[in-house]
Amino acid sequence: MSVDQISSVADRPRSSADAGRTRPARRPGASMTARRHRAFYVFTSPWIIGFLLLTIAPMGYALWLSFTTFDGISPNWHYVGLGNYRELMNDSVTWDALGRAGLFAVISVPLSIIAGLGLAVLVNRPIRARGVFRTLLYLPAVVPPVGAGIAFKNVFDQNSGAANGALTFFGFDAVGWLADPYARYVLVMTVLWAAGNIMIISLAGLQDVPRELHEAARIDGASAWRTFRSITVPLLSPVLLFQTVTGMIASVQTIMPMLLAPLSTPAGLTTVPQSNYTYMIHVFSQYFALGRYGYASALLWVLFVLILIATGLIFKFTSGVVFYNVDPEAKK
Amino acid sequence: MTATSLNPKPPLRVRIRVNRLVLYTVLVVVTGLFLGPFGWLVLTGLKAPDELAAAPVHWLPDTFQWHNFADAYQLIDFLGYARNSLIIASIYAVLVTLSSAWVGFGFARLDAPGKKTLFGILLGSMMLPQMITLLPTYLIFAKLGMVDTYWPWVLWGLSSAPYLVFLFRQFFAGLPRELEEAAIVDGCGYAQIFWRIFLPQSWPVLSASFVIAFTWTWGDYIAPQLLLSTDKTTLSVAVMTTYISSAGTPIANLQAAASVMYVIPILLIFLVAQRGFVAGMSTSGLK
Repeated sequence: MSVDQISSVADRPRSSADAGRTRPARRPGASMTARRHRAFYVFTSPWIIGFLLLTIAPMGYALWLSFTTFDGISPNWHYVGLGNYRELMNDSVTWDALGRAGLFAVISVPLSIIAGLGLAVLVNRPIRARGVFRTLLYLPAVVPPVGAGIAFKNVFDQNSGAANGALTFFGFDAVGWLADPYARYVLVMTVLWAAGNIMIISLAGLQDVPRELHEAARIDGASAWRTFRSITVPLLSPVLLFQTVTGMIASVQTIMPMLLAPLSTPAGLTTVPQSNYTYMIHVFSQYFALGRYGYASALLWVLFVLILIATGLIFKFTSGVVFYNVDPEAKK
Repeated sequence: MTATSLNPKPPLRVRIRVNRLVLYTVLVVVTGLFLGPFGWLVLTGLKAPDELAAAPVHWLPDTFQWHNFADAYQLIDFLGYARNSLIIASIYAVLVTLSSAWVGFGFARLDAPGKKTLFGILLGSMMLPQMITLLPTYLIFAKLGMVDTYWPWVLWGLSSAPYLVFLFRQFFAGLPRELEEAAIVDGCGYAQIFWRIFLPQSWPVLSASFVIAFTWTWGDYIAPQLLLSTDKTTLSVAVMTTYISSAGTPIANLQAAASVMYVIPILLIFLVAQRGFVAGMSTSGLK
């Protein structure tokens, strides 16, 4: 995937330039090389130390907690082995929450990618005020989650919301958007609202598509749709794949259901409607409403492993479909 | 354009015009939909409480209640919370920008056994679910007595952010080699090379990184919610949680007004720094 591609790009100037030029020039090489090596670790140490202390250590701590009944208050917590995991396996609330999170990811991510790609194609055309349209369409993606949550709560308010205003204007009945079963649609719409993000990233990709390819296709008499499907989409596929993976990971972790709930605090987690009770919300309730740090840590680790597996599967199944444009010029 | 005389079917030009019309209509409608929620937030912030309770929706306020903004500002210690946000976001953004540039320089310009593996881990860690590490991190910070202090943001800042490291690495890797070779011959250390030669070259990336990190922190809800008490917390938490009447119901119009005031700085920063912001966004999309 991208990782190899990026690192190979990284090494390119070094392997071609260094090998030819710097080696013979600098003979007192050994100490120079040692200095370079030491410097590398001095420079990367903030990240390495930070990663160990602020990512690996907490994950390890969570793993340890997941084998205990720790709740942060009671002093007589104890080791329960796989007890929490066993409980989790038999907990239908957990499975329902996981299913809901998965469904939400599977629906919202492709939709927002399609929307973002569509917008990118739209604003990539030679139109007037193109920059203005791009900026305005991207703007919602910059709005912080709290702002987005409050905005959507107001738009979809039962009484004073614009959504019900429009429905009643056209003669339909008003709907309780923020309650079951409609809350899930509002949740998906908050994701779509930020599709400008994907638009900008796809736009960069679209502009990288060589003009000659489009011209050649047009000469061959390909329709616009055909060109889009056979040239644009394959060339964008690494970008889209990356967006799919990061989008899935983001959507599984989202706390938007909490922000859309009537009471948007950890204490108000109980007010999250059933249809938005995703896995992450479940984890938060276990942590904060019930203080079950041990069980919640087990939930987190299960989610972590599932995300790893899902990411691996996505890369595996797309390896034949995703097209990497290896620049022949650069390979030399 | 003059080809119409050769072309037996004039509809071509008409068709192009109709296409354009459709295109612009779609664009305007979609843009309207995208701006709608924010527009509605502003309108809600300008309405009186009874207008929000009335059953048929009041599309526009009867009279624009501009004082809602002043009321929202006075009801809570708005300025105090904004100052907290500003302090936290600035601390984090300055530190993380410098540390990420520092680490990025290492990955772009230096070499050592294990570099490839480390870089792979760095890129992989961009995909780590942050919410999963945040909850146990919170427990650790609580144990270390760092709850209700700004230390967590200092530590997060010092430890650099993979995404920004990548941004800097890409930029530094593109600068010509000659830049440091002369300095090395002159006996400069790498720290000096970084500080004197590379940093001054990288204003565009430095500012993009600062803006990105600042908006992250300004927009963050969960970390301050978990780590800070009610008076030390940030504006995002305050806006979300403090506009509640004594009866326990949200004060929707004041909250809407407050969230407009909370969001606008970010929109302004974005509009001013758009170029760097978007450049940062699109390089992140893998290049």
